Amino acid sequence: MPFDRKLSSFMLPLALLSWVGLLVCSLLYAHPQQIGNTSFPGWPMLVAQAVFAAAVFLHERAQPDRLRGLDFVGLLRRLLLGPGLLATVCVGLHLLEDLFRQQTPGISSVVSTVAYTINVGLFILFLARTNYSWRSLVLFRSSARLRRQWGWFEALLGITLLVRLVSWSPPQAVLIGVLVFLGGFGAYLSSNQKWVAYLNRRQKLETVLLQLGIIVAMGVFVGYFLRTAHTVRLITPAPQQAFLLLNAFFAAFYAFMGLMVTFFNLPTAGVFEQKREEILSLQRLTQLIQKSQTAEEVYRMLFDSAIQTVEADAAWLEADNSSTDYRGQHYRIAPEQATAVCQLLAEYNLGQIEYLNNDLPNSTGFRSLNLPYGSLIVMPLRSSKRQYGALYMLKEQRQGFDRENLSILQTFTSQTVLSIENLQLMQASIQNQLVQEELKIASSVQDSLIPKDLPIDNWFEISSHALAAKEVGGDFYDFLHLPGRRLAVLIGDVSGKGITAAFHVAQMKGIFHALMQENPLARNEREKFPVPSKFMAQANNALARCLEKAAFITASLYIIDYEHGGFVFARAGHCHTLYYHSIKEEVSYFHTAGLGLGIIRNDTYEKHIKNQFYDYNPGDVMVIYTDGIVEARGEGGEEYGEDRLLQMLERTYYLDATAIKERILSDLEEFSRGQPIHDDQTLLVIKFKDSEPEARL
Amino acid sequence: MKITQHSSENTLTLSLDGELDASSSVLLDSELNAPEILNYTKVLIDCQRLNYISSAGLGVFISHLQRFQDANVKLVFFNMQEKVHNVFEILGLDSLLTIVPSQAEAAAV
Repeated sequence: MPFDRKLSSFMLPLALLSWVGLLVCSLLYAHPQQIGNTSFPGWPMLVAQAVFAAAVFLHERAQPDRLRGLDFVGLLRRLLLGPGLLATVCVGLHLLEDLFRQQTPGISSVVSTVAYTINVGLFILFLARTNYSWRSLVLFRSSARLRRQWGWFEALLGITLLVRLVSWSPPQAVLIGVLVFLGGFGAYLSSNQKWVAYLNRRQKLETVLLQLGIIVAMGVFVGYFLRTAHTVRLITPAPQQAFLLLNAFFAAFYAFMGLMVTFFNLPTAGVFEQKREEILSLQRLTQLIQKSQTAEEVYRMLFDSAIQTVEADAAWLEADNSSTDYRGQHYRIAPEQATAVCQLLAEYNLGQIEYLNNDLPNSTGFRSLNLPYGSLIVMPLRSSKRQYGALYMLKEQRQGFDRENLSILQTFTSQTVLSIENLQLMQASIQNQLVQEELKIASSVQDSLIPKDLPIDNWFEISSHALAAKEVGGDFYDFLHLPGRRLAVLIGDVSGKGITAAFHVAQMKGIFHALMQENPLARNEREKFPVPSKFMAQANNALARCLEKAAFITASLYIIDYEHGGFVFARAGHCHTLYYHSIKEEVSYFHTAGLGLGIIRNDTYEKHIKNQFYDYNPGDVMVIYTDGIVEARGEGGEEYGEDRLLQMLERTYYLDATAIKERILSDLEEFSRGQPIHDDQTLLVIKFKDSEPEARL
Repeated sequence: MKITQHSSENTLTLSLDGELDASSSVLLDSELNAPEILNYTKVLIDCQRLNYISSAGLGVFISHLQRFQDANVKLVFFNMQEKVHNVFEILGLDSLLTIVPSQAEAAAV
């Protein structure tokens, strides 16, 4: 409200100005001899005083709420030590006045007038400050209705300020009636003392003293005005002014009511404080619990807070939670005794249900345990889904617990259960995030392991396709040029998924590059590089030590010698090689035997793997792939299968490698349209070309 | 996946019903892991209702192979469907495991 603020910034200068005006008018009025004995009119003085009062009240009204949080004592203290001390100034001035009267009677009348005017100013300041402090208290956590009522109260008081300004004065009866009505309104508003409930015992004592101080300050002012009412020749003795009278009455009455309420609240302060303590400890528990990282911390916090709040003499907690090793704890009771009580409760069919017994010595079963307790509360920790344990609290005296204890424990335990379930949810989501992160790493590792550049030569065409399933699988392939116009092609599939599969792919690639190094000790050309079966045996040997028990790897290694137009390969449990023989004009699979890697982890592996030699002809097509292709599912759950793949090659063998691959893939896509991809799909098509392609040019 | 056990004197027969994939292979692994399984001289796997086996499923058999051999327990598969047999064959397990057509032959091994 910028207008209000602008207005209020004018109020202070206006107040000062009007006070000076009031002083001058009062002096002129009281000493007409100074201006040549013509009597000075009374109204400028009344106007100046009314303007002063209005300015001070409006200024104070526009101040920000002086109540900070719940610091009621601070509010009262600031009121007493600020404006309240103005009362001493008032007393001082009065003494000074008396002194002048005795010493120099000549000017004592002027001094009295000045002192009186100063005191009127101070009193108005004090009243304004007091009443707007009371406003903070009355409106503390108030309803809209009360706020409206306060607004009316202010407005009506404001109107009384104008009463003396007009020359018409209402009949005495009406005036008294209005005064009584407004006084009653003020008294009614004074009943709003809600804030007292928020004080503890010490604060209440302090409040009583502060309120007494304020009433005394008020009394000093009122006493002064009563005393001076008849001694000074003034037109506006303060008590006659309805505005000041009503304000003073309200200020004093509110202070008095507050004093009474606080005073009579003192004996019950203990109970209030205990309830407050319960609420505060619930708040503390809530805050602490939210900070705790583990279920055990949450349980421990519940246990400590519960004992403190209900002031139990002994207690124990049973925790039944799979996510933590914490099984509960005991407070001033031996675990055996706790177990005995639990057994007893179980016999009565009272195990782990909400239960309050305030007269234990009356139970024969409990008497036989010979324990010095009179009251027991059992509070289960339960959510709609499951039970997380139970809390047992004991007190030595009978009737030790009440319904309130039970309900506060209920609140504690439900808060605890909520936190435990939140923690579990959070852990699950962290776990989920970790898995996602792992998959991301694995898939980027796998991606980096797939060769980006395919070998290019005049003698063959290669086209490749690799598609990773959502969960990272373990497909891989790689190429290596060997001296003497030879090319090694490796394809394979690691069982399992995720980061371990990606790791084994990397390992396999390492083994491939390490074993495919030229052997300097070789006696002839053929021994320089291991033949595929030898490679597989050595790879199996290398993998035996690092592959986990249930994991295995399938692979095929082809070494293509395009100088001599032939290739040799070994199949270690990998999918059969599909081949188009251009001479026979026939498509078939090479059915060779061969065991997967990592299945047998000793030297006998070599017996299970064979080499297959073949001399190729230009126009021959080799299709190598992983099981993600032939095991792709169709709509009815059937597999794509080797037969359909074979038929596809029969229809496309005459195309170039890339076109063959595209045709197979589009057929596969059609077959498995709308089905999720469960496994990686890898497809390589190699087409052998004329041995002298240049001749064609 | 459903696994039913049937044991006679020296023989334990496990009948597999359904698809043996990554999740159900955990179930099978715990069955085969039981120490008392090594008290039998023969463990027969009835594959009549086994519709599919993933590499994780194969891994379970592979991981127990050595243990069974060391304990002198024979592991015999029978009634295997064509497509499942194909998976065993491609991996080369047919040369390593005993796979027979019928229960009678399995009992005779």
